[in-house]
Amino acid sequence: MIFWEIAKRNIRIHLLRSSLAMLGIVIGVVAIASMGILGNSLVLTVSDSLKTVGDSVIVTPHVGGTMRGPPGGTGGPSSLSITEQNFQQIKRASAPNVAIPVLQTSDRMKLGVGSDEIVATIYGLNPDDVPDLLKLKEGAYSRGDSGVLVGSTFAKDNNVKVGSRIAIGTEGNKGTLRVTGIIEERGMAFDVSTDSAIIVTKDWFDQAYNRNDYDKVVVKVKNLDDLPAVKSAIENQMNKRDKIVDVVDTRKTMETIFSAFGQITTFVSAIGGISMLVAGVSILNIMMMSVTERIKEIGIMRSIGAQRKEVMSMFIYEALILGVVGSLIGGTMSLLGGYAISSVLLQTTKYLFVPSSMIHIIYGMSFGIVISLICGIYPAWRAANLNPIDALRHE
Amino acid sequence: MDEQPVMVFKDVVKVYPLPSGDVTALDGVCFKVDRGEFISIMGPSGSGKSTLLNLMGCLDTPTSGDIYISGTRTVDMSDKELTELRRDRIGFIFQYFNLFPLLNIIENVTFPMMLKSQKAVDPEKARAMLRSVQLEDSLFTHTPTEVSGGQQQRVAIARALINDPDILLLDEPTGNLDSKTGAGIMELMSELNRKGTTIIMVTHDLNIAAYSKRTIRIADGRIVE
Repeated sequence: MIFWEIAKRNIRIHLLRSSLAMLGIVIGVVAIASMGILGNSLVLTVSDSLKTVGDSVIVTPHVGGTMRGPPGGTGGPSSLSITEQNFQQIKRASAPNVAIPVLQTSDRMKLGVGSDEIVATIYGLNPDDVPDLLKLKEGAYSRGDSGVLVGSTFAKDNNVKVGSRIAIGTEGNKGTLRVTGIIEERGMAFDVSTDSAIIVTKDWFDQAYNRNDYDKVVVKVKNLDDLPAVKSAIENQMNKRDKIVDVVDTRKTMETIFSAFGQITTFVSAIGGISMLVAGVSILNIMMMSVTERIKEIGIMRSIGAQRKEVMSMFIYEALILGVVGSLIGGTMSLLGGYAISSVLLQTTKYLFVPSSMIHIIYGMSFGIVISLICGIYPAWRAANLNPIDALRHE
Repeated sequence: MDEQPVMVFKDVVKVYPLPSGDVTALDGVCFKVDRGEFISIMGPSGSGKSTLLNLMGCLDTPTSGDIYISGTRTVDMSDKELTELRRDRIGFIFQYFNLFPLLNIIENVTFPMMLKSQKAVDPEKARAMLRSVQLEDSLFTHTPTEVSGGQQQRVAIARALINDPDILLLDEPTGNLDSKTGAGIMELMSELNRKGTTIIMVTHDLNIAAYSKRTIRIADGRIVE
């Protein structure tokens, strides 16, 4: 169509100003899409780190509550723990789901002769519960009290292999354990963060640290839809009179985290949106200039039979070309920008080429095109409604 | 043969309401134009020539009175209908040629065809039309700014004729040309008229008006002879 051709040629002969208007759209698209991609990549990164614990209810002693501390404890918040009786109540409330009692402490340990002592987290778990909670990368689950499992980061950082020995306590005074398996990487977790920790049997832990009570109970819920019900059941059972335990639904917590990330992503994308609005004003400006420069041409068109809508279409096409080309360039640059940002900030680009990240490029490009069109409508309408006689007289 | 006049003005009045008071540009103008006529409209500045041309070209509507183009009453037509009438029945030729600088010569001539057909058109008719106004083939792909004023006016004539209009409206067609080139253009117009094209020309140049067969003189918004 001839009006499309005229629009293209008008952009071509005013290449500099058209390019500057497009640059605004490019910046706007890059701002919106890159921020969106970054936000989504962050969500996916955290999601990946937390996904293994999204099926749990975590029960911990209520800080400031009246739960009985361990024998000989000071009674302060740090001495709070869950008794065997409490655990049995939690187990009944959460049945038929698996309730896993967890003991936790930190201690010095030495890995081999001549090596320096390090301090790491030690979890005490019943050997029967371990397969429900942790997956092994290599080796086997410990059956006897002399075995220990180690986290993947712990193993890597300390060059620990299956069969290595770890002396626990100052100068190994708590005993020496043999590594039977290395746990798969789990990332950040609400239940047990094992990557940089070691896992010993509950019996060994009780004996070494003289502990009978638990630090937390992890309930693995088989059907995720039951999470709220399990949480309520435990709360109703345990907090009937006083609040003695805090019960956390990990999926709910994750949803809260993702919601917060989503809000941050929306906020930074909105800042990108402002730059798009500025670009829109730039398009409006050059379209108004284009109309003013071509008033006589519009008069000629109208006098030889161009309808108002045809004149309008010519300017709409012009705005559309600026928007589409600017958005395409912006979309491409967003991909490159997203790649660069993901590489630098997240150290990975695996979350870039996924639909939930790519959609932000589509959003940015669509917004760019829509803004361009909206900002082209008024100048186009003005051009179409010029009086042909006045337009013909215009010098 | 079609005996219907191509244009009829009946008691046409045009008043421009201005803050300082109404200005009557045309006051009871009556005339008719038969098919094949070549008419000059002459008159001093401010006499109403331009207003008359705008009304004849359906670019404006009268305050009162009736105008018929090829038997069609135009007074109550919508903007869309008037635009279609201009596109299909009227050819405009302006003093300053008024070609589209972004289009080449062939595209300028095919432009009204595309408006009419709403699709891409065969440029062969435009080439034939340009040859009929004595424009060389080698110029067809040039832009208007790359050819002379006389050649531009020939392109404008070809553009005006491309949709086979009933009337050609000329507004000082030689006003921006030297006398020799202007004479060439007027010879072309006379030839077109001999072939049957109805021409109405606004001019203040007696030498140019001499090419027409009838002159309508206008003064103070009235036809005086």
